[in-house]
Amino acid sequence: MSQPLITPELLRRLEQLQLLARRRSKSNVRGERRSKARGQSVEFADHRNYVSGDDLRYLDWNLYGRLDKLFLKLYEEERELPVTIFLDCSESMSFGEPNKFHFARQLAAAIGYVALCGFDLVSVRTFPDKPDEAAYRQSLLSVRGRKSSLQFFRNLAHLTATGTADFNAALRRGAMESRSTGVAVVLSDFLDPQGYEAGLTSLIGRGFQVNAVQILSPEEIAPTSFGDLRLVDAETGAQTEVTFGRYRMEQYQAMVENFRQKLREYCAGRGIGIFTTSSADSLEQLLLKQLRESEVWG
Amino acid sequence: MNFLAPFAFIFAATLPVVVVFYMLKRRRTVRLVSSTILWQKFLAETQANAPFQKLRNNWLLLLQLLMLAMAVFALSRPYFAATTQEPGLVVVILDGSASMQARDESPNRFEAARKEALKLVDGLKDTDQMMVLLSAGNTVVRQSPSAEKTTLRRVIEECQPGDTPTRVEEAFKLAETLAKNRANVEVHLFSDGAIPTADNLASIKLPVVFHQFGKRANNAGITAMDVRPHPEDPAQRIVFASIYNASSNAVSVSAELRFNGQFMDTKVLSLPARDVASTVFAVEQKQNGVYTLKLKNDDDLATDNEASIISNLPRPVKVLLVSGGNRFLDKALRAVPNVELSTASQLTSGGKGYDIAVLDAVTPLSNPEVNTLAMNVATTNWFESWRMVEGPVIVDWNANHPLMRFVTWDNVQVAQTLGAKAPPWGLVLVEAQQTPLVVAGEKGRQRLVWIGFDSLQSTWPLRVSFPIFMANAMEWLNPQQSDVSQLTMQAGTPFRQPLFASHDIATITLPKGDKKEVKLGEKAKELIWSETYKVGVYKANFGTNETSFTVNLMDPAESDITPKAQVPVGAQGATAGAISKRANLEYWRWFVMAALAVLMFEWWYYHRRTA
Repeated sequence: MSQPLITPELLRRLEQLQLLARRRSKSNVRGERRSKARGQSVEFADHRNYVSGDDLRYLDWNLYGRLDKLFLKLYEEERELPVTIFLDCSESMSFGEPNKFHFARQLAAAIGYVALCGFDLVSVRTFPDKPDEAAYRQSLLSVRGRKSSLQFFRNLAHLTATGTADFNAALRRGAMESRSTGVAVVLSDFLDPQGYEAGLTSLIGRGFQVNAVQILSPEEIAPTSFGDLRLVDAETGAQTEVTFGRYRMEQYQAMVENFRQKLREYCAGRGIGIFTTSSADSLEQLLLKQLRESEVWG
Repeated sequence: MNFLAPFAFIFAATLPVVVVFYMLKRRRTVRLVSSTILWQKFLAETQANAPFQKLRNNWLLLLQLLMLAMAVFALSRPYFAATTQEPGLVVVILDGSASMQARDESPNRFEAARKEALKLVDGLKDTDQMMVLLSAGNTVVRQSPSAEKTTLRRVIEECQPGDTPTRVEEAFKLAETLAKNRANVEVHLFSDGAIPTADNLASIKLPVVFHQFGKRANNAGITAMDVRPHPEDPAQRIVFASIYNASSNAVSVSAELRFNGQFMDTKVLSLPARDVASTVFAVEQKQNGVYTLKLKNDDDLATDNEASIISNLPRPVKVLLVSGGNRFLDKALRAVPNVELSTASQLTSGGKGYDIAVLDAVTPLSNPEVNTLAMNVATTNWFESWRMVEGPVIVDWNANHPLMRFVTWDNVQVAQTLGAKAPPWGLVLVEAQQTPLVVAGEKGRQRLVWIGFDSLQSTWPLRVSFPIFMANAMEWLNPQQSDVSQLTMQAGTPFRQPLFASHDIATITLPKGDKKEVKLGEKAKELIWSETYKVGVYKANFGTNETSFTVNLMDPAESDITPKAQVPVGAQGATAGAISKRANLEYWRWFVMAALAVLMFEWWYYHRRTA
């Protein structure tokens, strides 16, 4: 990978951001995020009666002075936030100029970097499975700490988009395999013949705070091939014949917009943050403006 | 049901083409795409690409085929035979005379007339027929009655005017003949009205619509030209010319005379309004040639601004008189100008070496081979049998023959004459009750004048008609045609040249230099060239001979290009007036053509946009 996924300039700006979690972390590992668990931190949470064996350092002596009873001060436990990035590596993502998959990897790197800087747990779950990239993929699961970011970027750069993916099955499996839920970011073109609803629902059902980014290439939004065409599906290899002319461009684009609108409505109805973008769009604009305004991070 | 234009069924060949278009498996470009999900809506339409499937269900194809079939059917003009009113006949007479070339209409009167005639074709009802006559020097039927508008248009487009005078009389007679057994005949005359009054035109009972063309009469033209020897100086020739000014203003024109293209003289003439002025040029002439008079004026009609005339120097005619002695005849022949008379007592070798042989009461040893005047000569092969007729009484004579010009026979008595039956080769010029007295004609290529009686046995030599007849005979029998009047003719008049030897072919050189050939053959006695439609100098070449002849307009009626509001046709005359008639102009053909064009355009546009 000759070109870095993210420029140093962008990295500097991303360092100032932190993923915003709407729910408290349910992770068991200590971290920087508030959780429902009680433990050691500076954030006071509650009192409880002292029982024998409790650590005397947490006794509230002021209260003992007033009430002559022993109460123990409880503090919120700070846990890490698991951030799971579902990255679509199917053949369909390899299309477009600029390339959709490259754009998705840049996005994944940016989100991952923000999470790593915030001491969150980052996992990149890729689909479909590819044995020859298993090592890189394994390394992308459960990455912690800012110092791991360089290796994280390298591993991302080694990924390729080939093969046929079952979007729904991949998301369902990812949801089941995650030990703790947190923020899930789905990066895909959502062009799966089986639809995307089941996959996203399984993430919601598992308790993830889901954000989705649909990436389409400029060619998919406004095709430049006209005439009598035989279209070959890159993933399935199925051939279909169409007659397409400039006069039908508006009709096509309306259909694309309709597809995107359905996705938006579906996500909005389930509290999923959805962003539709083109691989030709500005990455900075998406990261620093759209995601920020939508309070994905702040 | 029948079809007026069955040829249009050839368009039915386009029906299978439409089907083939639908059946054609279109060559498609292979494109690898990320997914076909976004193309689902377009995929549905392409199901018709399997050839036989779409032919079953494709309404578009059926509608297109139906539309095409109806268009083809309409173009073939189907009709049912049914009883209806007799179709009308419109006779179009296009005046193609010289005056129609006047430029006071744009670009000229004839073109304006043609445009109007084409409008008339457009307004023709489907059941009506039209006939096109082009009337110039003579009338030509350009199109017999026809309802085919395309043909009529083409014919009218092809008509061209000539430099000839108008002869519409013929055209009207023709129209009247055709109209004899038909109702609903209407004659449309497209003319400027420069038509000479004729009695026959007044009796025409056809309804005539006169389409008048011409706006003004700005023209001066040569209406007469002649050349004569100078009465006082034989070395000089006198050229006469009459010039007519048709305009209502007096004009001054310059007349330039050239001989064989060489400038001779010029004169400025003042022409009073609507009047004729004459001019005379006296010029020296040393050889045969053509005088051309040209008016230098910028008027509307150019045809009559130039006239040419042939002028040949007189050449002596060699005449052999074979006679036992006839002083009257001898004197009469010697009195004829240009005659070089020789006398002999017997005809030898057929008269070879002479132009004319005159046999007077002799029995020739051999038949004459040159043009011959024979008086009281019996032993020839000209007649079948002979008898003697005593005291024949002259009952009639043909005064129209050139030989009989200024000759009367009312005081001539004849004592006795040879009697014979009129031969097939000859025309009887003078006739007695029992026998012809004078016969003239052409036997083979030989011109013969036969007089049955001995002049000395009659009172004829004492009459003034005798020397005149002899002079006429010498002129008529002269093979060299010194009479230039026959070499100058009005446009449209045929040129005739007697042939004294057999020629296979003659070449006519037209004024613009084009050459045309005329086949003559062994037995041809005369060269006739009738296509003298354009003015100028023509040349006729046959064998080693070359004869020039000139064609001029020289017609005061044509030079007078004053637009006439009325033409002398019918008892009341036909007046130019409102000529627009209520007619139903059909446009269905255009719509059918448009339907076909739309169909073709649809295919082209569909393929272009998807390309």
